[in-house]
Amino acid sequence: MVTSSRPFSIKRMPGFSLLALTCFFALYMPLAPLVIYSFNAGNNIALWEGLSLRWYVAAWENDLVQSAAIRSVVIAVIASVVATSLATMVALGTTRTRPYRGQTSIYAMVNQPLMVPEIVTAVALLIFFALIKKATGYHGYAYLISAHTAFCIPFAYLPIRARLEGMDRVLETAAADLYATPWRSFTRVTLPLLLPGILAGAMLAFVISLDDVVITEFVKSAGQDTLPTYMLGQLRRTITPEINAISTVLLGVSVVVVTIIFFLSRKKA
Amino acid sequence: MKLMFKAVLSSLMLAFSGIAMAAGELNLYNWGNYTSPELIEKFEKETGIKVTITDYDSNETALAKVRAGGHGFDLAVPSHSHLPIWISEGLIANPRVDQMPNFKNVAEEWRNPDWDPGRQYSAPWQWGSVGVMVDTSVYDGDINTFGIILDPPEELIGKINVAPEMNDVISSALLYLGGEACSGDKELLKKARDKLVEAKPKWKSMDYGVIEKFAGRDLAASLYWNGAAFRARLKNPDVRYGYPKEGYSLWADAVVLLKDARNVEEAKTFMNFIMTPENAGLMSAFARYANSIVGSEKYMPEDMATAPEVVVPQEFIGAGKFYPTCSPEVQKIYAAIWTELLK
Repeated sequence: MVTSSRPFSIKRMPGFSLLALTCFFALYMPLAPLVIYSFNAGNNIALWEGLSLRWYVAAWENDLVQSAAIRSVVIAVIASVVATSLATMVALGTTRTRPYRGQTSIYAMVNQPLMVPEIVTAVALLIFFALIKKATGYHGYAYLISAHTAFCIPFAYLPIRARLEGMDRVLETAAADLYATPWRSFTRVTLPLLLPGILAGAMLAFVISLDDVVITEFVKSAGQDTLPTYMLGQLRRTITPEINAISTVLLGVSVVVVTIIFFLSRKKA
Repeated sequence: MKLMFKAVLSSLMLAFSGIAMAAGELNLYNWGNYTSPELIEKFEKETGIKVTITDYDSNETALAKVRAGGHGFDLAVPSHSHLPIWISEGLIANPRVDQMPNFKNVAEEWRNPDWDPGRQYSAPWQWGSVGVMVDTSVYDGDINTFGIILDPPEELIGKINVAPEMNDVISSALLYLGGEACSGDKELLKKARDKLVEAKPKWKSMDYGVIEKFAGRDLAASLYWNGAAFRARLKNPDVRYGYPKEGYSLWADAVVLLKDARNVEEAKTFMNFIMTPENAGLMSAFARYANSIVGSEKYMPEDMATAPEVVVPQEFIGAGKFYPTCSPEVQKIYAAIWTELLK
């Protein structure tokens, strides 16, 4: 009989390590051949013919890849900056106020893109934007940017809100007691403390925007292929390791950004 | 703060709207990795029209976007199976392709296809077929039959692949049993199901990407498309492509002018442009599928101009047929058979 008063820990459940390892294996193993074959010297993605960087060079020199990559980054930067600004305001409005009626429904509304299946949003946006496009004749990037901004907001919002909730209200109250104006106490106290949360939120939003396929595929106008929709278009024909090379770079960017987020949000103020 | 965001936002919008529509532009909406860059470069040089290509990955995506309208595209390249939908829904204009100067180069058999009678709507892009690939060093009997897949000879058992495409697989089984693709005959559909279920244990896989497996001799037969068979033969000289004598299905993609195109004249110029032998040859040289223009072989790489996978040998031409998309009822039965087959 176990008499020790050790607190319950899931780590001691039987089979925990095995299950965890299996999960990690299933999650990450499929990426291994993708990355390995991106360095293939040969023309195909299943037959190893030696080590080479030729597909990275090919991808780098491919004008279509280049312009799609630049487009992806520009859209992701703008969408994540706008989404993070809005998310910061929402986070302040939902934590730095007295509880009010409808606060929960605001959470739900802000997080809606996390709940609604992406394809539903995509089709809805396709129809809605088509009406605007027909009415105004404007076919620019505003559609893609606003769509990306909308679905990035919850990803930026969650880390910011978590940070705000963990922050000690005493400091802000003290600032107010010392006659700081609300704006001043915000810029000198709240914002600096909140910054890691904002940066983490922005980077998460950036990665989410960078990787999006479904909504982009439906919303894009002529000449607005992003890197992921460009890659999707390649799949109908024989795939060369060039796609692996592009994927590996995209994967690398995502991993780096997520790692930065991890360190940012771990740092205690 | 809010004001600042507004200012940032509006200046960005301004920056982007600077990319306005100039004269002499053309927006082509095509399957990904299907448009020869050399062809586009040549077109831009000769006409001064700037071409923008946007990709799609399925007929359904393309239809959905064009149906919604406001897409900003001028030309699209649907498959023959979907073309009648584009016409009947009024999504495309009639540019009278048959009266364009270069229409004279279109081969006789492509001038009046069932899916675009009189060829007024669509300019030919590329086409291919669904047949069988066989490694003749493993089996050297008659390969011009779907029996290779459905009643495989002893030598091939366990070395067969089947492309995981519902329509192609079930239609091929129906053709093999003496029916037509998309047949509504329940008895025949049942027979097709039994045949497929019975044959499946003799297959090795249901996969895409067979070229390297034929090169490595892991596979000896496959139900697949002609373009891949051609590329596989370049890597393994024993690979041959069979045109099933029971009948096989053909597919073709064709360029259409969208009803709400804004660059109509430029679009027509492009449709006319791709119907010259030289330009059609460039197109095929890139995507490695056949086109419908007489004399374009001269402009293809030599290995391609003479390939029996690309240029259908005279004796097999008759068996190939275009099939439209199946009726919704037949689609349902197809889906049920497919589910059972994949179990």
